[in-house]
Amino acid sequence: MENLVSEGLSLMGFGMGFVFVFLTLLVFATSLMSKFVTKFLPEPVVLPKVKPATPVSGHNNDELLAVLSAAVHHNRSK
Amino acid sequence: MEKVLELWHASGLYNITGGQVTMILVCLVLLYLAINKKFEPLLLVPIGFGGILANIPEAGLAFSAVENAVHFAKPEVLQSLASTLGTASTEPYEVLTAYNESNASAHHAASLVAADAGYSNGMMYNFYSVVIGSMIGPLLIFMGVGAMTDFGPLLANPKTLFLGAAAQFGIFATVLGAVGLSAMGIMDFSIQDAAAIGIIGGADGPTAIYVASMLAPQLLGAIAVAAYSYMALVPLIQPPIMRLLTTEAERKISMHQLRHVSKTEKIFFPIILLILVAMLLPDAAPLLGMFCFGNLMRECGVVDRLSDTAQNALINIVTIFLGLSVGSKLSADKFLDLNTLGILLLGIVAFGIGTAAGVLMAKLMNKMQGGNSINPLIGSAGVSAVPMAARVSNKLGLEANPQNFLLMHAMGPNVAGVIGSAVAAGVMIKFVG
Repeated sequence: MENLVSEGLSLMGFGMGFVFVFLTLLVFATSLMSKFVTKFLPEPVVLPKVKPATPVSGHNNDELLAVLSAAVHHNRSK
Repeated sequence: MEKVLELWHASGLYNITGGQVTMILVCLVLLYLAINKKFEPLLLVPIGFGGILANIPEAGLAFSAVENAVHFAKPEVLQSLASTLGTASTEPYEVLTAYNESNASAHHAASLVAADAGYSNGMMYNFYSVVIGSMIGPLLIFMGVGAMTDFGPLLANPKTLFLGAAAQFGIFATVLGAVGLSAMGIMDFSIQDAAAIGIIGGADGPTAIYVASMLAPQLLGAIAVAAYSYMALVPLIQPPIMRLLTTEAERKISMHQLRHVSKTEKIFFPIILLILVAMLLPDAAPLLGMFCFGNLMRECGVVDRLSDTAQNALINIVTIFLGLSVGSKLSADKFLDLNTLGILLLGIVAFGIGTAAGVLMAKLMNKMQGGNSINPLIGSAGVSAVPMAARVSNKLGLEANPQNFLLMHAMGPNVAGVIGSAVAAGVMIKFVG
């Protein structure tokens, strides 16, 4: 019976110890990987491509308005 | 008249035992909880119904061919079984004990004898051996869970992995509790049984079933029922413990927004996790391997059809069979004893301790980082129970501060808990399996 308890204690010590060691290593590995990826394999930057699109649409506002009102007019006159 | 009497003697009403009546009532309670109270209905409906099927008298649905042969106890069949198994006695009970203790080849030979005598495995027994006996069921569920898991919040803040580690303390404290109860002579658990009971504290159904089927198959029914019912009770069990261990000011801490995580990082993560498992703990490779595979299918973006199947159709199919198979372990002779009560009791203790350890770890990390960056409420999400535990953290955070949305922050420790309990399972299998 004493044996069983000591077995339980050692399982607890080893188990918790191992879980912590494993997850600590995982923390290091993922942080390293994230650093590596952001440095060497950055995502194809999408944002700048979107931004210029807004001023362009602002530029064509008059044209757009004309097209829209024509469409509405066309629709109403049906 | 003789025919009528024969029919009566073969009826369920004539043959039913008190234990079977009790177990059918227990299963009806499970069905009630699932249908009316919405306790993990996806699993408890199949488990409850499977349990009723397993307890139908005379049908022997949950028994192997040999057990069925012994049950009907024809003298000539018992005689040949006893000689195959190498026992002198032809008492049904003795033959059954010899069968359960025999090695694989004698086991197989006895099955063949029973088959020759015209007995076959019950339906539920076959479900069990295909789905759980072969380990396929829990592993496929793990693959589906992997395909459903977004590691973004974890990658944005990898330190939350420590919370997932701390919450596994519940598992090991419960192992100690179980061996303590045996040492005091109150219960009778071996170290393997204790390990399988402890894993309930991981709050992860498939992991619990996987470990129990490896270390203590005779306790599987009770362990699975305890694991799934307590997972449903997470919103009731956790909040009092969380309130007790945190101050109002700590609960109000709001955390700053998580950084954006790129697609490439998400693709690399399951591969890194798999390499670490392969290098350090091959015993956790089946569970975490399937988990990583599912996650890679999700994140790589080129096999959406497979990922979709893994997280929807396949996981649903496996859930049906897994539930029925667990139900097959709810037959009266395997479920009704004092140990089941002990398992239910230890299971809830495991949940409580895991929650407390997670919260305390979060408090410690918060203190170490200046005291105003980590809300300790997210620590409790370190017991897996995805996503229920994270929702509980979020709810308590909102109670303290209506602008405080902790859900995404709590998802980090939550999925870390899944990894943590799978690692803990690997350690248990390594040391006592």
